[in-house]
Amino acid sequence: MISLGGSRDSQTICAVSTPPGYGGISVIRLSGPLAAATAHRCLHHFPIKPESHRAYYGLFFDPTSGQEIDQVVALYFANGRSYTGEETIEISCHGSPIICERILKTLIEQGLKPAQPGEFTYRAFMNNRLDLVQAESVLSLIESRSQKSAEIALRQLEGDLSFEINKLESEMTWCLAHIEAGIDFATEGLEITTQNELVMKLSECLMALNILLSTYQKGKTLKDGLQVALVGRPNVGKSSLLNLLLGYDRSIVTAQPGTTRDMVEADVIFEGIRIVFQDTAGLRSTSETEDPIEVMGMKKSEAAAKKADLVLFCFDLAEGWNSTDEQWLKNLSPQNLIFLGNKSDQAESAKNSSLDAEAVMKKLQIIPDISKSPVLFVSALDKNHRQVVMKSIKKAVSVDLQGEQILLSHARHFENILKAKTFTEQAIQALYDNVGPEFVSIELKEALISLQETLGKRFDDQIMDRVFKEFCIGK
Amino acid sequence: MNQYDVIVVGAGHAGIEACLATSRLGLKTLIVTTNIDRIGYMSCNPSIGGLAKGHMVRELDILGGQMGFAADKTCIQYKRLNSSKGPAVRGTRVQNDKHEYNKFMTQTLNNQQNLVVRQGEVKRLLLDQNICVGVVLDDGSEIRSQAVVITAGTFMNGVMHIGLQQSPGGRIGDKASIGLSDQLREFGFNVQRLKTGTPPRLLNSSIDWSKTTAQYGDPKFFPFSLRSSDQFELKQVACHLTRTTVETHEIIRENLNKSPLFCGIIEGVGPRYCPSIEDKITRFSDRDSHQTFLEPEGLNTDLIYLQGISTSLPEEVQYNFLRTIPGLENVKIVRPGYAVEYDFIEPTQILHTLQTRTIDRLFLAGQINGTSGYEEAAVQGFIAGVNAAHMVLGRDEFILNRDEAYLGVLIDDLVTKGTREPYRMFTSRAEHRLVLREDNTLDRLAARSSKLGLLPAVDLAKLNLISDQRRDLSSYLKLTKIFPTQEMQQKLRDRHLVVMTKSLTLEEFLRRTDVTPEIVADLGFTMNLDPLVSEAVEIEVKYAGYVKRQLDLIQQSKKFEDLLLPEDLIYLSVRGLSNEEIDKLSKIRPRTLGQAQRISGVNPSAIQAIMIHLKSRRSAKENSFESAGRNNSPDQLAN
Repeated sequence: MISLGGSRDSQTICAVSTPPGYGGISVIRLSGPLAAATAHRCLHHFPIKPESHRAYYGLFFDPTSGQEIDQVVALYFANGRSYTGEETIEISCHGSPIICERILKTLIEQGLKPAQPGEFTYRAFMNNRLDLVQAESVLSLIESRSQKSAEIALRQLEGDLSFEINKLESEMTWCLAHIEAGIDFATEGLEITTQNELVMKLSECLMALNILLSTYQKGKTLKDGLQVALVGRPNVGKSSLLNLLLGYDRSIVTAQPGTTRDMVEADVIFEGIRIVFQDTAGLRSTSETEDPIEVMGMKKSEAAAKKADLVLFCFDLAEGWNSTDEQWLKNLSPQNLIFLGNKSDQAESAKNSSLDAEAVMKKLQIIPDISKSPVLFVSALDKNHRQVVMKSIKKAVSVDLQGEQILLSHARHFENILKAKTFTEQAIQALYDNVGPEFVSIELKEALISLQETLGKRFDDQIMDRVFKEFCIGK
Repeated sequence: MNQYDVIVVGAGHAGIEACLATSRLGLKTLIVTTNIDRIGYMSCNPSIGGLAKGHMVRELDILGGQMGFAADKTCIQYKRLNSSKGPAVRGTRVQNDKHEYNKFMTQTLNNQQNLVVRQGEVKRLLLDQNICVGVVLDDGSEIRSQAVVITAGTFMNGVMHIGLQQSPGGRIGDKASIGLSDQLREFGFNVQRLKTGTPPRLLNSSIDWSKTTAQYGDPKFFPFSLRSSDQFELKQVACHLTRTTVETHEIIRENLNKSPLFCGIIEGVGPRYCPSIEDKITRFSDRDSHQTFLEPEGLNTDLIYLQGISTSLPEEVQYNFLRTIPGLENVKIVRPGYAVEYDFIEPTQILHTLQTRTIDRLFLAGQINGTSGYEEAAVQGFIAGVNAAHMVLGRDEFILNRDEAYLGVLIDDLVTKGTREPYRMFTSRAEHRLVLREDNTLDRLAARSSKLGLLPAVDLAKLNLISDQRRDLSSYLKLTKIFPTQEMQQKLRDRHLVVMTKSLTLEEFLRRTDVTPEIVADLGFTMNLDPLVSEAVEIEVKYAGYVKRQLDLIQQSKKFEDLLLPEDLIYLSVRGLSNEEIDKLSKIRPRTLGQAQRISGVNPSAIQAIMIHLKSRRSAKENSFESAGRNNSPDQLAN
């Protein structure tokens, strides 16, 4: 957890904010009341009263020894106008770990404290520059692995989700206030609000909550990437397909069935979205194998398929569909599915120009409720087929980030909004059932607690700990 | 040498409870009042109780206070408010014969052992450094004591306003007390002004009652007090409803410049929740009528109290607008409405015991702490009295928690949040409202009361008996089964009730909305139908789901409510606090982390910071123990 001793208004912290290692430049961040005074001591040409949002060029030196360390640019942000809300300086030096270390050492000798993990963001939260949702978005932004996930993190940092939750909070507070007034001013002969008005307002809130909840799958997918599992019988070419989809060789491909015994995971960015593929051990009919390692591998495959956002169910066009495929398909019954018929180059049927997917699938007698899933005939050896499959994957999960849509992408937010939704539903039900305003009130209060906890407006030590411990130093 | 153990200053609703508590706890007590004829006088409405207020009167009664008993005895109309709503937000209100009330309280005080009643005005406190050691009266006499409770009401530097005329005084006919609040101010207390008002009193015989609507009380009496019988002692009377008209509002609007409230003469903040008619008309300008109740001030008086029409307009304007109200066309005013401005002590300067932070052995209770209402005053008087007595006797502080009683909510709100307007209790102020009901008051407070020892033995026995009967009935309901036999189903059909689908315990059966204890008894089960017993049990059964949720929430908050903050905690050294937070926390010095959380302007992040600080304090201490060869004790704060 964040460091101890001294008041928030009196300590100045510093840390290297760029990743370790050699690079063009590195950035060292200082935050706290002594930032400018310290910079003034250690930097040639850095004035006593610098101007906010201005860069100052100069030589960084150790004021005790007078030894010069590097040529740097120092960017100054005044108190109240920075990320942390405190006086902040960002020193850009040459990207060498040696230089960074020497600058940091000098700053610490000058009385600054090394920052704890997440402390800059923690200070921003403490100084009310960010709410909890925004603080989490900083982490997401830093960790984002694709353009889309960076985009949603940035939107969250800019406060779109916070704005939405605040709006809901204020609507529900209005309802709660009016219910309370109706209880406590019952003798004043005032019509404070009607049941209809309350039901209407709360139904609107409920709708908004439901919309938010419905975005979670997509938000999570965009943030963490789309989990795609390749499953199928041994030697239908799953590993070749994986290599095709990745655009490079990741899995070992042999003619020997059952080569992939354990799972292989690899990711690729496609049109801004991270897609994580899992190549799984081949599925045999349970009577076919007794090799305990292989059985275990198959169990893992099954679990992976059940967890995945999308399953690519691979089969061999040359061999055709068989009862093992049938059995596993029923067994896994994936929600989101694409059939990949591989080895179209070898399959007699595929050479037939009159062949269409529907006819084949009918012949294969696929279970009706998944018969709407797309069927693609491909050859893992034909690089041109990659684009078709990738496009279908993206289409199947419809993960496009459209317009201004606000997305839930954190499990914590989802859980809280789900709670808020449940309590709002119960409040509306209580209004319908006419059980009494004080019971509607208790539901609404709990809904509000959930919303406020999302934003960190209520104190919960476990939540705070969880959020801030995920940060690295310098953030 | 002390002449008295405790001196109580003021004999209003707070002073009465304070002096009775101390003298009943065996302490030699002096009560000083400026007017010995106005003990327990109802300066404003002739009524006690109401939503949340009724709750407090019952709580006070169980703990051994006097107000509920006096209110029952002098009741001339009884009502259970919100009776159509759920059990947690029902409230008892009675109209009282104010002269009988005043008479009864005067007798109670005069007959109380260990208590001396004396007329006089307290000019100053006797201070020894920062310890209060007695008072100085207006005749110059010094009286010494071990503790002083001030319940000065609206009297400290009180100024009355009728129109643009002002006169010093805390109530019509009574002079203000000058000196006390100046002394406190000089000592460094933050003393502020508040304002309150009262409506005109009308002559009964000048009212045309035919133009008003009579409002009767409830026939069935559920007295406040455990000690009262459920039969009315006095004749029950009606109140009457009438309404202001468009003409009333016009006259008031035209004369706003003559209202001291609106031309800036009054600086004190008035009660938002009990606004004057001038306020109402300005704030709710779209309404062309407001209701008003004509309430008799007693059985043998011609005075009628005009509820809801408090005003400080000049008397002739009051005449003009009153005569536009149906029934009041020829009304005669006996006493015009007026406003009072008075000094109060910003209540974050007092502790949960109601002792001031800066002067030891000095306790404050009632309107002096910024509250409004007889009930709010009475319960504070009681708490101040008990704690003054406990201090003298060397006993523990008596503090009720927010989840135990409205009393706890009231005092915690005052000392934590302070107030800028007269503070009135509402059910919505209690976050644990569902468990703070009128019906379960004795279950909540029996143990506390019995330990406190203010309830006479005979009442305590009665209380325990009811508690036992409730427990018995509960377990009977849990253990007894009702079977869907043909006979039973027929009985249900005969009573137009839905038949049963399976056998149930009586508890489950009673949970049905169409089933009451009376029905259960009627179906052939032996039930205790005494409403004092069955009603509370029925409510517990019917609302068990909600009550459980509330209890769960209380349990969750316990973690913070039970975490006592060290008295030597220096907030300046807690890293992560803003200057504003350091300032507020240092001033209010919350007892618990839960209280710190309720201070406005203290952010959730500050609570985090305090917890981290406490953890590090603890581990620092443990480290030093370790080096001294002691075992590490588990970090309780980490849980």
